[in-house]
Amino acid sequence: MSARVAMGSPVRHSRVAMWRRQHAWCVRDSLRQLARRPLGSALTVAVMGLALALPLAFYLLLTNLQHLATALGDSQSVSVFLKSSVAADGADKLAATLRVRADVAGVTVRTPQQGLAELAAMQGFGDAIKSLSDNPLPFVLLVEPRADADRVQVESMVAAVRALPDVDLVQDNGQWRARLDALIALGRRVTLLLAALLGAAAVLVIGNTVRLDLRSRGDEIAVQRLIGASAAFVRRPYLYEGVWYGLAAGIVAVLLVLVLEAVLAAPVRDLVASYAGRLHFGGLSWVTLGVALAIAVALGWLGAWIASSRHLARTKS
Amino acid sequence: MIRFESVSKRYPEGREALIDLTFTVEAGEMLFVTGHSGAGKTTLLKLIALIERASRGAIEVHGRNLARLKHRDIPRLRRDIGMVFQDHRLLMDRSVADNVALPLVIAGIPREDRGKRVRGALEKVGLAGRGKDAPAGLSTGEQQRVGIARAIVGRPALIIADEPTGNLDPQLSEEIMQLFVGLRQTGITILIASHDLALLKRMKQRVVVLDHGHLIDDVPASQVA
Repeated sequence: MSARVAMGSPVRHSRVAMWRRQHAWCVRDSLRQLARRPLGSALTVAVMGLALALPLAFYLLLTNLQHLATALGDSQSVSVFLKSSVAADGADKLAATLRVRADVAGVTVRTPQQGLAELAAMQGFGDAIKSLSDNPLPFVLLVEPRADADRVQVESMVAAVRALPDVDLVQDNGQWRARLDALIALGRRVTLLLAALLGAAAVLVIGNTVRLDLRSRGDEIAVQRLIGASAAFVRRPYLYEGVWYGLAAGIVAVLLVLVLEAVLAAPVRDLVASYAGRLHFGGLSWVTLGVALAIAVALGWLGAWIASSRHLARTKS
Repeated sequence: MIRFESVSKRYPEGREALIDLTFTVEAGEMLFVTGHSGAGKTTLLKLIALIERASRGAIEVHGRNLARLKHRDIPRLRRDIGMVFQDHRLLMDRSVADNVALPLVIAGIPREDRGKRVRGALEKVGLAGRGKDAPAGLSTGEQQRVGIARAIVGRPALIIADEPTGNLDPQLSEEIMQLFVGLRQTGITILIASHDLALLKRMKQRVVVLDHGHLIDDVPASQVA
């Protein structure tokens, strides 16, 4: 190729260096394209950011509901409130009766004095208790079902205890916990579904934005192809565009969730205080937020990849 | 350099654009392809750049058999060919320098080398110092010069130009053609499709004449008058 010496011999460059330089150009090109239409870019980021913030907010809610469930206790214990006429020896006798049951692991007798002391320790009850002339609380038996007992066995035991003549009220704490766990599991499923739907919406939003960009730059792409650009080179700036959209939207979503946490901090602090510190409220961890950001970037890339692949397949030359 | 051997091209809708073409272009040669509208000039150039594939026959460019070239290898072939278009095909939202630099970006040439080469190419086409201008601010002739600078900046062994003076007045056409003649003297092979017979006569280069897809005449430079 004699002509190659016409303007000086070509410099040999390593493939990696070439690849790096092409990427650097594509990064600059993608940022320049975004900067050319700031309002449109900002709107796309805002829509995608809101779409991603919603499942994150749900996740935050669920995480804290889980904390609440933990604060309520893991046991399936059953609180048996005895009639106020039942005295200490009657309570002990009933406790002994229950301890011999095959489905009971243990029974603790809680005296009215212990109950009153517990109430007094809780914030806000101190003054009310001082004003009482006598102790209105009954004896309470805390019945712990066997660890291997399932819900059906526990419910059958509760029904048997409820039928005893000295029993006034039976509170099945495990049922509460089971309902809460079921609710949390449902919430988790709904959040996952929501995340999938909104993730798909984000992919479509980015894909459509990139598609319009590809269409408006059709002539430029045609020129690039004619002068030797590979499909990968043509596609690259659009993939970066998708990545920037995803990154920016991920940052918006994370900031929205952090704002949500800050706004909820004060009322939640009061709620935590009422649980005497047993309830823990926490925001999302940095790892979770980082994963959310990475997912947003991946969704942006995917949207751009789908749009650019379709465009390149249609305009193959 | 370029060899056509019994090449035919039939478009999917059935139109025969080229029929049984056989000719050779030597390295460093300048060749005009002429003929009336629809004679097959543009199709011939498209086959060389593999924008279209031949239906029959063999085409060899730079020693490569184009029929055997895989789709993924087409960009590499095109990087070895400088293309000039009738409508310039400049990117109007980029500067002149950015337009000229595009083939170098695609080839992954370092930025500092790109700057030097772009300045050199612009100098060759008489646009030294105009790198920062917007293409929209240039005259039609200057825009075509930018197109030529973009075609030569990658140091191709072959330039193909489709009606490069189609939108220019006779004086500008002459200037652009003289540019091509100058490039040919640096050793580049040049193939130009043009229907401007008066211009071809003045250029005194080899001319291939097409008519309804047939090669009806191949006039050596010495016989062009």
